[in-house]
Amino acid sequence: MRLCLDWLAEWVDLPDAAELVHQLDMCGFEDALVEQTGPDLSAFRVGCVLEREPHPDADRLSVCRVDLGAGEPVEIVCGAPNVAAGQKVVVASPGTRLPDGTKLKKSKIRGVTSLGMICSVSEMGLGDEHDGILVLDPEAPLGAPVSDVIAAGPRVLEVGITPNRGDTASLLGVAREVRAIFESPIRAPETEPPEAGAPASTAAGVSIEAQDACHHYVARIVRGVQVGPSPEWLVARLEASGIRSINNVVDVTNLVLLELGQPLHGFDLAKLAGAEIRVRRARAGEKLDTLDGETRELCSEDLVIADAERAIALAGVMGGADTEVTDATRDVLIESAHFDPKTVRLGARRAGLNSEASYRFERGVDREGIARAADRCARLLAELAGGTVAPDRIDVRGSEVAHTDHVRLDCARANSLLGLELGSDEMRALLERVGIACESPEDGVLVGAIPSHRNDLHIPEDLTEELARIHGYDRIPTTLPSAVLAPAPLPPGLVLTERVKDAFVAAGLTETVSFPFVSAAEMEALLLPEGDERRETLSLVNPIKEEEPQLRTHLLPSLLRAARLNRARQAEGVQLFEVSRVFLPQGPGELPHEPLQAVALLLEDQTARLWGNSPAPLFFQAKGIAERLLNLLGYDALLRRGTQPAYLHPGASGTFWVGEKMVGAVGELHPETCSRFEIDVPGVALELDLSALLAQPAQPPQYREVSRFPQVRRDLAVLVDREHAADDLVVAVRKGAGKDCTSVEIFDRYEGKGVPEGKVSLAFRLVFQRADRTLEDSEVTPAVDRVVRTLLHRFGAELR
Amino acid sequence: MAPEGHSVDQLLGQARTELSAASSTQELAEVRAGYLGKKGSISQLLRTLGKLDPAERKQRGQAVNDAKQAIEAHFAECRAALEGSARQRALAETQLDVTLPGAAPRRGHLHPLTHVTRDMVSFFTSMGFSVEEGPEVETDWHNFEALNIPAEHPSRDEQDTFYVSGGNLLRTQTSNVQIRAMTGRTPPFRFIAPGRVYRHDLSPKHSPMFHQIEGFLVDDRVTFGDLKGVLFAFAKHLFGEETELRFRANHFPFTEPSAEMDLTWKGEWLEWGGCGMIHPQVLERCGIDPETWRGFAFGMGIDRTALLRYGFPALRLLFEGDVRVLEQI
Repeated sequence: MRLCLDWLAEWVDLPDAAELVHQLDMCGFEDALVEQTGPDLSAFRVGCVLEREPHPDADRLSVCRVDLGAGEPVEIVCGAPNVAAGQKVVVASPGTRLPDGTKLKKSKIRGVTSLGMICSVSEMGLGDEHDGILVLDPEAPLGAPVSDVIAAGPRVLEVGITPNRGDTASLLGVAREVRAIFESPIRAPETEPPEAGAPASTAAGVSIEAQDACHHYVARIVRGVQVGPSPEWLVARLEASGIRSINNVVDVTNLVLLELGQPLHGFDLAKLAGAEIRVRRARAGEKLDTLDGETRELCSEDLVIADAERAIALAGVMGGADTEVTDATRDVLIESAHFDPKTVRLGARRAGLNSEASYRFERGVDREGIARAADRCARLLAELAGGTVAPDRIDVRGSEVAHTDHVRLDCARANSLLGLELGSDEMRALLERVGIACESPEDGVLVGAIPSHRNDLHIPEDLTEELARIHGYDRIPTTLPSAVLAPAPLPPGLVLTERVKDAFVAAGLTETVSFPFVSAAEMEALLLPEGDERRETLSLVNPIKEEEPQLRTHLLPSLLRAARLNRARQAEGVQLFEVSRVFLPQGPGELPHEPLQAVALLLEDQTARLWGNSPAPLFFQAKGIAERLLNLLGYDALLRRGTQPAYLHPGASGTFWVGEKMVGAVGELHPETCSRFEIDVPGVALELDLSALLAQPAQPPQYREVSRFPQVRRDLAVLVDREHAADDLVVAVRKGAGKDCTSVEIFDRYEGKGVPEGKVSLAFRLVFQRADRTLEDSEVTPAVDRVVRTLLHRFGAELR
Repeated sequence: MAPEGHSVDQLLGQARTELSAASSTQELAEVRAGYLGKKGSISQLLRTLGKLDPAERKQRGQAVNDAKQAIEAHFAECRAALEGSARQRALAETQLDVTLPGAAPRRGHLHPLTHVTRDMVSFFTSMGFSVEEGPEVETDWHNFEALNIPAEHPSRDEQDTFYVSGGNLLRTQTSNVQIRAMTGRTPPFRFIAPGRVYRHDLSPKHSPMFHQIEGFLVDDRVTFGDLKGVLFAFAKHLFGEETELRFRANHFPFTEPSAEMDLTWKGEWLEWGGCGMIHPQVLERCGIDPETWRGFAFGMGIDRTALLRYGFPALRLLFEGDVRVLEQI
């Protein structure tokens, strides 16, 4: 909310702007600031006219020598009749940007060079007057920026208002807070109007049909108004608050809204059919032309102001065009009412409107301030629009507003909640600063009378907050809680997440964090078949990007997106991972499952390597990372072929199993998935279902005896059909080698020159060792022979 | 046959000369073998001793053995000298260009938010807070109603909400965890809840997804002063001992009294988070009697802390996945 600072100062004494802003901030207003409005005058300088000579070639121009406080005086051609030697004036030098946007240049005017301009009010952007230059106070310091000397516009106080404090959305409301903070009294303006003529009740009638939605309706009749433009001060105050001036009658209603926080509306009395106001629900399909030029179709929940025939305003939101106050209006009916906050909010939302009025009604207006605002408005209309205020108000009540009159405060409890030791007298004084009069029926108890404008105070804790707020949160001593020692275990999912992250980082991968929003096309790029639960996504009703309404069921699209971005930025060898929840929809209205997933994506590095051998193929790097990770976590996982997800290459992928549970997959990206994400290099994805892993028992590492006796190593290479899975051979080798064989590794794989077509050479290293004695060659050799025979027998392998 | 004509002394002198003249360890070994090997001249002399009479045998045997040891000693000396100079030559020959780049093992990078979150979690677990988690897609009840934010209340305007089809929403705050963790539990307890939250807002200063850490403690004696104490300690842990904190009155529907906290960063006050004493109605909704128990709660952005700590100029950088950014941390 924005308010003229000078206007506020008329109501209550203010400290300097910085202190005011600071204290308002500390007491609950958000982002308070004081802004100097109007054009920036800092580029204009104070000059002094030393001499004025007539222009040699132009009767109406004069040539002035002007002292600018620095350097030599300059010659300026001036057309204003009121310029004279000795005046302090406003000078714009060449290069100054004027408020209208033009940049002033050195110019020649009828043969005389002019080094600048002596400015009028309009040239400074301050008004429309063209009656000559602005003459400054003779005391204005020579050469100073004009912004130091005159105010370009009113200073405006801007404050953010929290939703519970609708009562502060007015001059009066801010003044009350200033009073509470600085303990300075409020000077509220007179409200009582002079009255004459026939009583209001003879001019119009008011009835409330929707009692639940309208608690109070007050009407004032002002006859014989002269509708016209408002005085300048009024326009300025409205504009500083962001309200456009319409005419004096409308402006006065808005002025009172700003003053007291009570929205008002003026109807042209002559246009009210039956001279009648009915507060009722709209009829379904009823139409209303609102002041913003729209025709709105209403629904039966909308609350309207109607006359005998039709709706004439959407109550608390916006007036109608039919009964608008115009230049022709003579008699005005002023509405001041208390509408139900929720009804107004829903009505405003259905209409897509957010007006100054609805803003305040939604937050609740002062239930006792309705009549006062109507009076104040009538008084100002008499003053500023020449109207005659009819005696009496038309005053009709609907259902009573739910409210709290008194709150009982246990002082000891308030102290113990805050960690303070205030006496009950101190508390009473603090509460009285915010307008809560207190009684003390017994020692240590205060009963506070809640002012009608404070609809946010209901329970002792609310008063406790008022105490803290006015006393100052910073004055509460800082202590530490004393608590019962209790174990503070971490959730298993978090522990697993962090271990997985560390393992990926140890493997050289970089963690990403991304939004869960994905497009349909991105999900489709995963090529998931019908029936895959990850095809079904939850959709946002109001996505931030229209094309990304879905919540991901898989992290891969996000990683592919990041990979594409990195490729576009010329990164090589991108290796990323993310650990996050994904969203698997359940029944309608049910919360989705949010399993934890970890996905890594490795792209091939196609730049030449500076050092060392070329790395293992990407697939095996990823597989190695997964195996290491699963092993670290204590899982004995197995890779199986033939069950891979659709976004992986069917010939270069597999799935990880712990027992009978699939816990992950690894594989080269399917070329189709790759190309849909415009990834231009081969990539490998690795995924782990952490929620599935969590459900599997992990084996913590266990000590196994280490042998004191030497190992015997034997290498053997065989030729075998390339169709055989290496793992099958390893299993066979291990079995054939017997229990003294402690390790079987494939250390070389070769196909090509020297190896027959369709065959592959595999080299195994077998290690034999016993814990109790040294093995003899005569024991190892038969074991190796057995291995060779097994390989020949089962795989047709021949020794190389 | 032993070379009769040579005295032991002569042999010794000759051996010394030859050993000293050897120019390689191999040559040296050959010279040694010529005297001390199986057919070496000293070995032959030793074999002849048996023919002598005992007195002469003893005397001559002593002399031959002395010579043998002297040759061995000289051999060892010469070998050490030769090996030493060979090593010197080898050292002189090997010149590694140590200015070539090192081959560091590939290094991975945790996300800046992970670093900061771990730091925060470790602080609070050190104070005995447990970690709780809650769903990101949440019911209106847990995200709003139970926290005193009824439907059609202006408080809802403060949190632009993403709704999912079916009526649920993406949580706008981690406070949903408060409701879930408190319901069915008997105080005293203390929890933190770090996690992702969502607001329908995309601007340079806001991100539709960001991270909050929520903390709350319920017992029968905790005060606002205690809340301040915990937050002071937390701020100093994160931002340094010299950090200052101030508390401004503010409104949160689920705390009463409520405050917003600012901290000093490079000489400026920065908004850091919100806090307050848990609203009695919130406790009551979770089945906790507010006459007996009270609690404090606080929440702040994790992303903001990461921005400050690492000097990132924009939130956007955290979520794009640009390795040039992420690999700096």
